[in-house]
Amino acid sequence: MKTAYIVKAYRTAIGKAPRGVFRFKRPDELAAETIEYMMEKLPEFDKSRIDDVIVGNAMPEAEQGLNVGRLISLMGLKTKDVAGMTVNRYCASGLETIAIASAKIQSGMADCIIAGGAESMSYIPMGGYKPVPNYELAKEGHEDYYWGMGLTAEAVANQYKVSREDQDEFAYNSHQKAIKAQAENRFQDQIVPITIDETYVDADGKKKTKSYTVTKDEGPRKDTSEAVLNKLRPVFADGGSVTAGNSSQMSDGAAFVMVMSEEMVKELNLEPIARMVSYTAVGVEPRIMGVGPVKAIPKALKQAGIKQDDLALIELNEAFASQSLAVIRELGLNQEVLNVNGGAISMGHPLGCTGAKLSVQIFDEMRKRNLNNKYAMVTMCVGTGQGAAGVYEFLN
Amino acid sequence: MKRTINKVAIIGSGIMGSGIACHFANIGVEVLLLDIVPRELNAKEEKKGLTLENKEVRNRIVNESLNASLKSKPSPIYHQDFASRITTGNLEDDIAKVAEVDWIIEVVVERLDIKQKVFENLEKYRKPGTLITSNTSGIPIKFMNEGRSEDFKKHFCGTHFFNPPRYLRLFEIIPGPDTSKEVLEFLNDYGKKFLGKKSVIAKDTPAFIGNRIGIFSIMSLFHTVKEMDMTIEEIDKLTGPVIGRQKSATFRTVDVVGLDTLVHVANGLYENVPSDEAHDLFKLPDFIGTMMENKWLGSKTGQGFYKKVKKEDGSSEIKSLDLNTMEYRARKSASFATLEMTKTIDNVEDRFKVLVAGKDKAGEFYRKNFSALFAYVSNRIPEISDELFKIDDGMKAGFGWEHGPFQVWDAIGVEKSVEMMKAEGYDPAAWVTEMLETGVKSFYTVKNGNTYYYDIPQKKHVKIPGQDSFIILDNIRESKAVFKNSGVVVEDLGDGILNVEFRSKMNSIGGDVLDGLNKAIDLAEKEYQGLVVCNDGKNFSVGANIGMIFMMAVEQEYDELNMAIKYFQDTMMRMRYSSIPTIAAPHNMALGGGCELSLHADKVVAHAETYIGLVEFGVGVIPGGGGSKEMTVRAADTFQKDDVQLNRLRENFLTIGMAKVSTSAYEAYDTNILQKGKDIVVVNRDNQLAIAKKHALLMAENGYTQPIRRKDIKVLGKQALGAFYVGTDQMSAGKYISEHDKKIANKLAYVMAGGDLSAASYVSEQYLLDLEREAFLSLTGERKTLERIQHMLKKGKPLRN
Repeated sequence: MKTAYIVKAYRTAIGKAPRGVFRFKRPDELAAETIEYMMEKLPEFDKSRIDDVIVGNAMPEAEQGLNVGRLISLMGLKTKDVAGMTVNRYCASGLETIAIASAKIQSGMADCIIAGGAESMSYIPMGGYKPVPNYELAKEGHEDYYWGMGLTAEAVANQYKVSREDQDEFAYNSHQKAIKAQAENRFQDQIVPITIDETYVDADGKKKTKSYTVTKDEGPRKDTSEAVLNKLRPVFADGGSVTAGNSSQMSDGAAFVMVMSEEMVKELNLEPIARMVSYTAVGVEPRIMGVGPVKAIPKALKQAGIKQDDLALIELNEAFASQSLAVIRELGLNQEVLNVNGGAISMGHPLGCTGAKLSVQIFDEMRKRNLNNKYAMVTMCVGTGQGAAGVYEFLN
Repeated sequence: MKRTINKVAIIGSGIMGSGIACHFANIGVEVLLLDIVPRELNAKEEKKGLTLENKEVRNRIVNESLNASLKSKPSPIYHQDFASRITTGNLEDDIAKVAEVDWIIEVVVERLDIKQKVFENLEKYRKPGTLITSNTSGIPIKFMNEGRSEDFKKHFCGTHFFNPPRYLRLFEIIPGPDTSKEVLEFLNDYGKKFLGKKSVIAKDTPAFIGNRIGIFSIMSLFHTVKEMDMTIEEIDKLTGPVIGRQKSATFRTVDVVGLDTLVHVANGLYENVPSDEAHDLFKLPDFIGTMMENKWLGSKTGQGFYKKVKKEDGSSEIKSLDLNTMEYRARKSASFATLEMTKTIDNVEDRFKVLVAGKDKAGEFYRKNFSALFAYVSNRIPEISDELFKIDDGMKAGFGWEHGPFQVWDAIGVEKSVEMMKAEGYDPAAWVTEMLETGVKSFYTVKNGNTYYYDIPQKKHVKIPGQDSFIILDNIRESKAVFKNSGVVVEDLGDGILNVEFRSKMNSIGGDVLDGLNKAIDLAEKEYQGLVVCNDGKNFSVGANIGMIFMMAVEQEYDELNMAIKYFQDTMMRMRYSSIPTIAAPHNMALGGGCELSLHADKVVAHAETYIGLVEFGVGVIPGGGGSKEMTVRAADTFQKDDVQLNRLRENFLTIGMAKVSTSAYEAYDTNILQKGKDIVVVNRDNQLAIAKKHALLMAENGYTQPIRRKDIKVLGKQALGAFYVGTDQMSAGKYISEHDKKIANKLAYVMAGGDLSAASYVSEQYLLDLEREAFLSLTGERKTLERIQHMLKKGKPLRN
């Protein structure tokens, strides 16, 4: 088996949806500009040597439809020669694409693949425009296969007895960590500046255009407190505990890595950042999809041949505070190394982009902490009862 | 010259100013709402680093008042979207814009010096010819225009709205010394036709008509409660719905309005009517002084005559004020033998005779109270009005009384009442005695469908002006009836148009009403041109007679029940499929079956205050009179090629599933109960039937042809059913609905999906009606549905089980 290395990793800032900065930027453009930026960092590189562009996306329709992966390849690389595809495993899509790219290279089917994800929740509603559940399934009592994610978070909170107070405290801490990281400029090396030319109609009814560049994540809130969070009303169940404050934010963003065979890395004299050691996706009961990582994490660790304690950093996607806490408690995850710069509750959760975005973030943080040759994990719960986890070895 | 009102300026954005602004927005007029600039920044503005120069700060007062008003309940506005018709501004930066308006209404604080200053300032910018009026409730109009130009004075008068402006119908127009006749006539007409009000041209006397009599009435009760050693609960019981007044009766109403507001007007009257024979009555009793000192002003300060207190178990209890101890105590229920006797008398008008004949304290109270009221109102003519009907109009439209003082007097009998008054120590005004002497025995009479009042100078009955454009059912019910049964009267409105007037209890729809509708359609198809369904009940209809359904369900007479539902459906379908145009003219509540009837009419001419919806879930069933079918048809009719059709069906599913009831006719367009381009809204309730009739006639004359039965309704089958099942499951898992709600919702889903068809298909209306009936019947076999119906019958409220 060949070795596949990650040699480049970038992401856009994460905008709030549906009223944030990226509502004037289509997801295909966000993705293409991220890839363009990556190419600028490899000025000598012959783009036709890229074998594929694999784009994770959780709601591949409308602006994200029509195999947006191929369109992103055309737009971002500005060549007809590189193929492109779209991959959907909901919130694990962006991690799944890196796994597919690594596996293809390891098996010798490819030498260089751009993998990642893009999602605009400003453009496409959660669940898409026309969710049509299967009547026969629903009739048989499997309506929960189609439950909204918030309701599953309530089910997890009930089943795993995660209190409202604990959820709000977790959410508060997420914001605090993210604000601290922003103050320390911990994200700037990984973020691709995105310029937006917004054409709009002003208060006088005149058409105007303004241009601005986005380099900062929009989600973290300085003004939040546990008291504020405690006041929010549950939004998914009457008398429930899951609120807009202790759930992940809806977001827009894109993130991509370049995966390359050891041979090509040597030939081009590039510095590998990391390699994916293992990746797995598992199935759990759809109604408590949030606990997916409880099953995925041990499996991925076993594949990698390491122990939980070997993980120097963990990014556990904060879909909801309830499921994050349930996972942490069930597995006894070390909170000292988990989501050190905040998570989706404060930073945002652009669904299909998230797995790639968290990978980009974790590489950068490993570098800043000089954790060479240590292991890191990206893991998340996934809709319709799944969990995913990937182990990286950080190299440089 | 024809005057049109496209834009008004309202000066002052307090509760009244904002409320008036909203009501103009309601009728489609563009509004400029202005108030003063704040003198200093508030904490929030300071934190944001704003200065007194920022627009946001300068318009803070007006914006905050308007927003508070828009959020208040009941809403001052027919539809929140209409708020965009109001532009806010401040009196410094935006006052010049009054040059662009057709009417300026001043609603600032009730102080003559301030009002005069405002008018002086407004005159600088006002274009000549622009109407300018004051919404004062007490300041004499003649003092307000001092120093103003001739053009100003000619176009100036008082226009007094009652709070809340959207809901209370009285619109008093008070001429100043120089107001032109054209202006008064215009406002009188505009008030009726455009604002939907009862316009009353009053005289420039203290508190005008409504408040003069209204405050008298309240103040007299303030004294009576002590004199007769009664409790506030007893007075409220005796002065509430039993005599056709609001449920909040006397003391609860004062709590809602605010004691300080009442005291302000009462004090004004005390000062300004020194020669009034009831002058002493306007002096505040001691307990009012104590309440004012204690700030027990009512709802606005959390306590007044009543106080809501939280009990230890978290539930709340309403306590009432004991006027002897001035302490709050548990409420005492009030009961009187005389009231028991009126329980079986549905028609309020018929109760007065019985009430004043009562042998108990209640009888004594009514004799005393009505005697004082009759004497007072008779003596106010000609002081506050030359015509007696204006006093009745004022009390009905301004205070929500079903019957004005002279009407009550008529109901008891004028002569009989005079005897009663004398026994109580009151004398009627001389003109009343004179009237009786000339042989006129009543204040009102009805001739040829018109109401006549006793005109004092002419000493005879004269037709009340302005009613030619109205059709008054009370006046034609006897003379124009062409059919009658226990549930309906069918009246001939002239010009070949019939009206079906519901007369059943709460206007519920049972077998007799359905018979009446069929009979009316039969008649109209044979001998007439069109049909209107309109009535003057408190509500248009509260829905199907669920008592009957309950009985049949409990007895498990499912065949009979099936027949009854089928009869309901067939009758609704006849509303649509007859050879004559049918018009439904709902007002107030039009629920369940009342809504279904409207859904099937060829056109709905709804009063603006129509609260319409399909509320069947509340009694554990789905709409069974064609409502479920019709909402499916309406969704299908909006389907576009390549559209996500399921989402459109979902909206109509939710209209039924969430038992949505509109808070105005305009809101009913949002729920697809009313349809734009077909159904219309009428603002003036008095005019509704006449307008409905005109539409029926127009449709008939335009060559109305019976529609052809439809077989082209697209239903989505399993595609919709799966989505609905998942939706209801989520609602139930999230505890927003009960298991039984889910069962009902899934039954409705089955109907609206057209059943479990493999793919989208085209079906007939009858196919959907059969599904609807089947689902309805199966639900009446459910214990929890029967519990819901029983609860509604007993308590008048839905049960959530």
